[in-house]
Amino acid sequence: MDLENTKAQMRKGILEYCILSILSRSSCYASDIIKELKEAKVIVVEGTLYPLLTRQKNAGLLSYRWEESQQGPPRKYYELTPEGKEYLSDLDKSWDELVESVNLIRTR
Amino acid sequence: MKITVSINLGGYSFNIDEDAYAELKRYLKNIEIHFANEESSSEILSDIEARMAELFRAKLSTYKKVITMEDVRNIISILGTPEDISDNERTSARDKFSTPGYHRMYRDPDHRIIGGVCSGMGAYWDIEPWIIRVIFIAFTAMGGLGALVYLILYIVLPEAKTTAQKIEMKGEPVNIKNIKDSVKEEFDNVRKNMKL
Repeated sequence: MDLENTKAQMRKGILEYCILSILSRSSCYASDIIKELKEAKVIVVEGTLYPLLTRQKNAGLLSYRWEESQQGPPRKYYELTPEGKEYLSDLDKSWDELVESVNLIRTR
Repeated sequence: MKITVSINLGGYSFNIDEDAYAELKRYLKNIEIHFANEESSSEILSDIEARMAELFRAKLSTYKKVITMEDVRNIISILGTPEDISDNERTSARDKFSTPGYHRMYRDPDHRIIGGVCSGMGAYWDIEPWIIRVIFIAFTAMGGLGALVYLILYIVLPEAKTTAQKIEMKGEPVNIKNIKDSVKEEFDNVRKNMKL
């Protein structure tokens, strides 16, 4: 068994869930998402986020629009699509179930 | 004195030291190669460049106008090298080295009574070979059909000789771990037989 690999596997699934969860509150600029993920310590290197965002966008869970910025070039704002919202509510459910299952085993 | 290069990164213009520029170029090339197989790889790349530009801007002030090697190294550590990024994405290393699990019927020489046909069928369907043996004996008693089928199967089915074939016989994927387990099992069997 490889502890680092197990941890990376756990983080990977959680990361996708966290991105959708952050976007469910409001549409976000990628750097805002990074800030939240870093505060919550679910991301190690920032480079991991961008392929995930693009993959989720290609899967139809996210969409983005360009917004003008006072400080420089236009910024990409991501938001959940109706499909993404549905996907997230499924993930919410399975997360609750997972936490419950793990707690049940750990506290036995 | 140093030569600086002027670059356009994510829509911003930067002055960057020549050595730092070489390092940055090398890094972006590696990232590009890393995501080359990805759908919309150019989009990922331009997102990363946009983020980089933002991080570089935070490094500059009225007193600091040029991006240095130190800045580039610092930003690479924040964004992560391709290795760091794939570290977070990698799937279990064990899965990577296994071929898809073939499942074939063999004669099993390790658990045979006559030719290993019944034990091989047992391993293939994961049932006790005794059940198959009883069926064969029953059919043989009722006019010899069982013996004929046994003979045909003995000719048709190859014997599982190698460790990989023995794993295939049970329908498990042939990978390093299974080969190790299988060899260990064989070794234990030999040791048991030696004691008897």
